[in-house]
Amino acid sequence: MKIKERVLPQGIILDLEGDLTYANQAAFKVAVEKAKQAGCRHLIVNMEQVRFVDSAGLGLLVLVSQSFKRLQAQVSMLKPQNYVREIMSLANIPKMIPIYENEQDALIARAA
Amino acid sequence: MHSNALQPTGQGLDSSAQPKTFVAAILLVEDEPVTRASMAARLTRLGYRVLEAEDGRAGLDVARRERPDLIIVDWMMPEMDGPTFCEAVRRDPLLKSSQILLMTSHDKPAQIAEGLLRGADDFLSKAASRQEITARVLAGLRTSRLVRELETTSSQLESSLLLLQAKQEEMETDLHSAAAFVHSLLPPQGSPVQGISLAWEYQPSLTLGGDLFGVMAIDAEHLGLYILDASGHGVAAALRSASLMTFLRAENIIQLIGSYDPEQVLFEANRRFPLSADGEYFTLWVGQLHLPTGRLTYASAGHPGALLSQTQSPARWLMRSSFPLGFDPSALYACDRIVLKPGDRLFLLSDGIYEVSSPGGELWGRERFQKTIDEGKPMSLSATIASSFSAARGWQQAQHFPDDAAVVGIEMTGDPDERLNG
Repeated sequence: MKIKERVLPQGIILDLEGDLTYANQAAFKVAVEKAKQAGCRHLIVNMEQVRFVDSAGLGLLVLVSQSFKRLQAQVSMLKPQNYVREIMSLANIPKMIPIYENEQDALIARAA
Repeated sequence: MHSNALQPTGQGLDSSAQPKTFVAAILLVEDEPVTRASMAARLTRLGYRVLEAEDGRAGLDVARRERPDLIIVDWMMPEMDGPTFCEAVRRDPLLKSSQILLMTSHDKPAQIAEGLLRGADDFLSKAASRQEITARVLAGLRTSRLVRELETTSSQLESSLLLLQAKQEEMETDLHSAAAFVHSLLPPQGSPVQGISLAWEYQPSLTLGGDLFGVMAIDAEHLGLYILDASGHGVAAALRSASLMTFLRAENIIQLIGSYDPEQVLFEANRRFPLSADGEYFTLWVGQLHLPTGRLTYASAGHPGALLSQTQSPARWLMRSSFPLGFDPSALYACDRIVLKPGDRLFLLSDGIYEVSSPGGELWGRERFQKTIDEGKPMSLSATIASSFSAARGWQQAQHFPDDAAVVGIEMTGDPDERLNG
């Protein structure tokens, strides 16, 4: 999995590329930990280039969301592909991690 | 000791002063007593322990017994000359990595080439100066030390590998035993109660799987059904699944909550199986079938759902959005209800059956799985399940599934009045 980090005044965007699965979750964990260490208050996970999320990837997203909540910070998700969106929806993930269709909406939502 | 082998002539450095200092041993094979004594004396003065042999055969005996760090052998000797000695050393499994300096009074290129080809590592002129002897001996000992280190490392690696292989075999035996045990907990195929058929196929991605299911009599009128999926793979996931499976046993649930009401089963399971510190969790689908009426009550905790296949209409998914177990400690799980009629089939499945990719990376997906179930209506229940596995394998062009894959089929075969637990 490739991860590009973009630091903005309102938060950090992680542009993910590849599958978020049991086999390749290490890179995501590292990127999240780095954002946390940097004091990130709003982590936006851009899922536009993520084709597939398995159960382990889903658990990791929830774990990250919960750990950010404990720090009064937030995790949001950006533009998941249809199949990933379906998986998220089945597990009720949008109730925990808001999903946005563009960066501006995500950034504004947190600021509001 | 061989009669032709001579005792070492000296101990080199003062061993009483430096008892723990390593003293390299050099075997000197030379038939000419004066030359041998002279060279031995020079080497002893340089601080080495010198072993002597007066011909090639005696030299081989000493070498096997003492494993010297370096062998210096004369070219010209009766019976076994220096190059023949080198060849014998290279053939000997115990000695073949020995460092050999071939001593000669000639230094013709053709002779040197022949000596090297026949197994010598370097040459030493009989007329060599003290400095040259020192340099060549040191170079030979340096190589010898490296070769021995390499041999030691290689031997240690080989031992470790053997140990690892033995451990792995032990672990695999244990895993197979555990897998056989878990398999024995799965419901027997056939007819769990009169008027109902049960068939399933299950392929764990590893020896032990994290997807498990159950079909069991709750009381005379109810059949309990569940399928669970542990996130992750391997032994840890399988152990967690076995733990949840134990929790879901009919007698345990009845004792805990008084019924197999899916809503309450999920509520209790959610309380007892929180999200782990590593993000591990379960999805779970639970159903309760009222045998006299065919009424199925079911609820799901983030599970991809069950598929209902009816004779007169396309299959449809029995699912609704809900948190997997442990995501939200206060989550509530609502029940849905349907009535199953004779001929209806209910399939419980894990996502591993349809989340398989073609070599080009395209997912097989739920819709294609559903299509195999629809097309399987004329077939027997077990043949329909087998065809779904076959289609998934064909799609991914591989026999083994990347995740645990399970499909459990239940068919209402008879009159409702027949469907009572004996």
